[in-house]
Amino acid sequence: MNFQEIILELSRFWAREGCLIIQPYDMEKGAGTFNPATFFGALSPEPTAVAYVEPCRRPTDGRYGENPNRLGKYYQFQVLIKPAPCDIIAKYLRSLGCLGLDGRSHDLRWIEDDWESPTLGASGLGWEVRFDGMEITQFTYFQIMGSMPLNPIPVEITYGLERIALYLQKKKSVFDLDYSDRVTYGDLHLPGERQFSRYHFEEADIELLARHFKEFEAEGERLAAKGLTLPAYDCVVRVSHLFNVLDARGAISVDERAKLIGRVRGLAKKVINLYLEGGVAA
Amino acid sequence: MKRKDFVLEIGVEPLPARFVRPALEALAEGSTAMLKGARLDCAAVRVLGTMRRLVLILDELADRTESLAREVQGPPARLLKDAEGRFTPQAEGFARKHGVRPSELLTVPTPKGEFLAARVTEEGLSALAILGRELPALIGGLKFAKAMEWERTRFSFGRPIRGLLALHGSKVVGFELAGVKSGRAVLAAPGSRAKPVRIADAGRYLSALRNMAVVVDPEERRSLLMKRMNACAKGAGGILDSDEALLEETVFMTEHPVPVAGQFRKEFLELPEGLIKTVLKGQLYAFPLTTKAGLCPAFVAVRDGASEGQKEVREGFEGVLEARLDDAAFYLSRDLKTRLEDKLPALGRVSFQKGLGSMADKAARVREVTLWICSQLSGGAAPVALDQGIAEAIARLAYADLACEVIREFPELQGAMGGFYARRNGLDERVASGIAEFYQPLGPSAPVPCALEGALAAMAGKLDNLACHFAIGNIPTAAADPYALRRSALGVLRILAEKGLRLDLTSALGFAMSLVPAAPPGDRPPAANIFPDGGRGRSGSALDRAQALAALKEFVMGRAASFFEEAGFGPDAVRSVRDSALRSIPSAMERLKAVEEMRSDPRFADLCQAFKRASNILRSSKPDQDGGLGGSDRLSAVALRGALKEPAEIALLDALERIEADVAAATSEHDYLAALRVLASMKAPLDRFFEDVLVMADDPVVRRSRLALLARMVRCFKSVADLAEIAGPR
Repeated sequence: MNFQEIILELSRFWAREGCLIIQPYDMEKGAGTFNPATFFGALSPEPTAVAYVEPCRRPTDGRYGENPNRLGKYYQFQVLIKPAPCDIIAKYLRSLGCLGLDGRSHDLRWIEDDWESPTLGASGLGWEVRFDGMEITQFTYFQIMGSMPLNPIPVEITYGLERIALYLQKKKSVFDLDYSDRVTYGDLHLPGERQFSRYHFEEADIELLARHFKEFEAEGERLAAKGLTLPAYDCVVRVSHLFNVLDARGAISVDERAKLIGRVRGLAKKVINLYLEGGVAA
Repeated sequence: MKRKDFVLEIGVEPLPARFVRPALEALAEGSTAMLKGARLDCAAVRVLGTMRRLVLILDELADRTESLAREVQGPPARLLKDAEGRFTPQAEGFARKHGVRPSELLTVPTPKGEFLAARVTEEGLSALAILGRELPALIGGLKFAKAMEWERTRFSFGRPIRGLLALHGSKVVGFELAGVKSGRAVLAAPGSRAKPVRIADAGRYLSALRNMAVVVDPEERRSLLMKRMNACAKGAGGILDSDEALLEETVFMTEHPVPVAGQFRKEFLELPEGLIKTVLKGQLYAFPLTTKAGLCPAFVAVRDGASEGQKEVREGFEGVLEARLDDAAFYLSRDLKTRLEDKLPALGRVSFQKGLGSMADKAARVREVTLWICSQLSGGAAPVALDQGIAEAIARLAYADLACEVIREFPELQGAMGGFYARRNGLDERVASGIAEFYQPLGPSAPVPCALEGALAAMAGKLDNLACHFAIGNIPTAAADPYALRRSALGVLRILAEKGLRLDLTSALGFAMSLVPAAPPGDRPPAANIFPDGGRGRSGSALDRAQALAALKEFVMGRAASFFEEAGFGPDAVRSVRDSALRSIPSAMERLKAVEEMRSDPRFADLCQAFKRASNILRSSKPDQDGGLGGSDRLSAVALRGALKEPAEIALLDALERIEADVAAATSEHDYLAALRVLASMKAPLDRFFEDVLVMADDPVVRRSRLALLARMVRCFKSVADLAEIAGPR
């Protein structure tokens, strides 16, 4: 099964399960959790069910395209359902079945793996799912978001698409994966890995990024003060990514690190409070 | 009475392996208490389980409890009736409360006089009713290291509960918990082909599980696993490199463990052995295989489930392993592009602990502490032979591997990788092994670094940990020690004891504390300060430095006391050396040995008694009574001799003067047994002194001289041990 078919199969499966299939959020982010559908979806008291593919950028994980298993940018397939259905594990296993991953003739392990996002003040409990030793999914029951206990409790399923494809296609390098039957993952992404590794590790303009961090932090505060929840949240996503780039660039000292994370969290907290007061409808 | 088996299965989404055993223990304990409280009787309480099911079996549980007649005591008997012969409101109230008529109340004699009593009958209840009422509380009472919520009743458990089977004989014990109704369905592993199994009778439960290929008894699972893995290893031509923690985890991570033997390419054996083992255990939960020649290019992994598709599983494991070993080899080759030395600047960007700066700062402090320790040990009366250059090199490079890519991937290899790189860099073998052993001892009985220089650097690292964390108020509590400071302290004590280093630990702690920066160090290149507004001071919770040091000494002394007790010394003996123990751990242990050896001597117990009397007198004498000079005031030898008049006190002074030099000589040779034997000769003059002389005489001058005499004697004793603490023969 090629890469795009995996995405299509998962989308079809979760659409049948009643999820809204949405498109990626159009900003750089480190994880699918930053997509407002998950962030606000988890916070709101209303039931929700969404699924989407989300490109994630982890500047520090870039390896100039030299490591067959490491990427500075990759894809997650994300499912968020609230309240968590009581047969969610069975559903998840059926979704693997759609991909041709039959848990019955393989070793499926549920390894304790609690999730925490210091910048979002969020945490959850769950597992890393290993399929014959390969981590293919992060499975999390969110407990807290923006330091607030959640009610009802959402469940988040994050599929590592590249890992699943490596397994299904029996390939050793992510760049050799068939994205479609004619195009490889490498055709699509190897130049990006090389160039963005150079950018993040060597070329990123520290002064510019640091200025943008401060400016978008201030902008986020200003927008939050005006009650503009969604634009203010975009600022959270933006400063969080700027932080990640500065970090990869080696521009953040040990002592600054904790302070900057605290500042992103502070801004996220303001947006959360704003949302809980009035929602996003205003 | 009729009896039937009872079974409870709490079906859960996979619990973390580490939660299962404690939960089962708590389940056994809780159900025993529940049965006792309800007066419900059974032949045996059994708990079994896997990560998916916590199972309680009560063999031959009684159908119901017997009714129980008993007397309940009430108000005093005089309150039965008032002057007019009517029942008082107290008597009526008491009777009503227990469902009897006032005329049925009894009068019972007690040691406190006569009291009213009611004879009440507790009706017998069915086990079904009792369990239906008690089971939710029993399950809710199970506590987990980390609990979660998942549904609208906000019930909290280790992982979501997805099934409750509760049967007494053929009857369902009805209750509802966390949105789940109890019933007779056995939890099926999700995704399994098997149809949901419903059992008619509690007695069928275990056979139903067997049919589902679930080995529910952890001990059975463990022995099955060991047997199968050993056979598998033998087949693969190696010996299983067993690991108790991994085995326990595997037992509680599977319901039907089946070993799978696999292989990897021989070339990977060029990687450090520790790295291969870490990948095998961490990634696959697999056991390495060894022969006499070392590690084999093979492993035994475990899969959960029957042996369908064994070949696919093996290929899957091998593929994942190969990718991870490729990864490791890739990082290793990158790490080897620069020397360990060249990685030091990058430590400036590795965080030590929040509020404590970078690892570069820490490395600089540890180097200084190491040099200080070297100078302490190589100076003084009994210099220790050591190579300061080697110790310094170890301290300087010990943290360099933290800037390596392999360590970023496998943090647990810190130290081991540094040693590997040091060897590859062609550094002195003593430096390489010192770096490799820098974090030792890794456990209470794990080895300390072999060579002295490595041990000194390792100790410096631990002293800095202790000082830093105490300085910012991270003091361990009985419940929590997140920075493993107990382990650091024990490491220091063990190194001092096992290497026989007479280092003054009090000064060492003071020196380490003096190096901890008052505020986090400022930013430095390559981290140009790009956020100049962010440089505010530290939080106010940090302890005052002197307070921190005092707390640290107290903490280390506490650890030393338990270290000594673990070594087999009595708590009283440990108290007797407490005051000066940290001045030299080896001496403290020698003194403890001497005290323990003397303990069997009956004269010694008497000596301790007499000494205790002397100490008590000194302690209770108040400075204001004694001319403002205090009980421990020192008089010069001449003044003291001139002041003493009574023969018994002169005899005591004579005896003391005779032995003081001998005691000092013996202690300076660390021959504390000889010192104690000399002290034992003080028993007779001391007894005579207490018989003939009243220390707290009315005349302040006399009193003062006698107190001074006792004080001098106590000082002499305490240079060996504070015998007042000794309880007697053991």
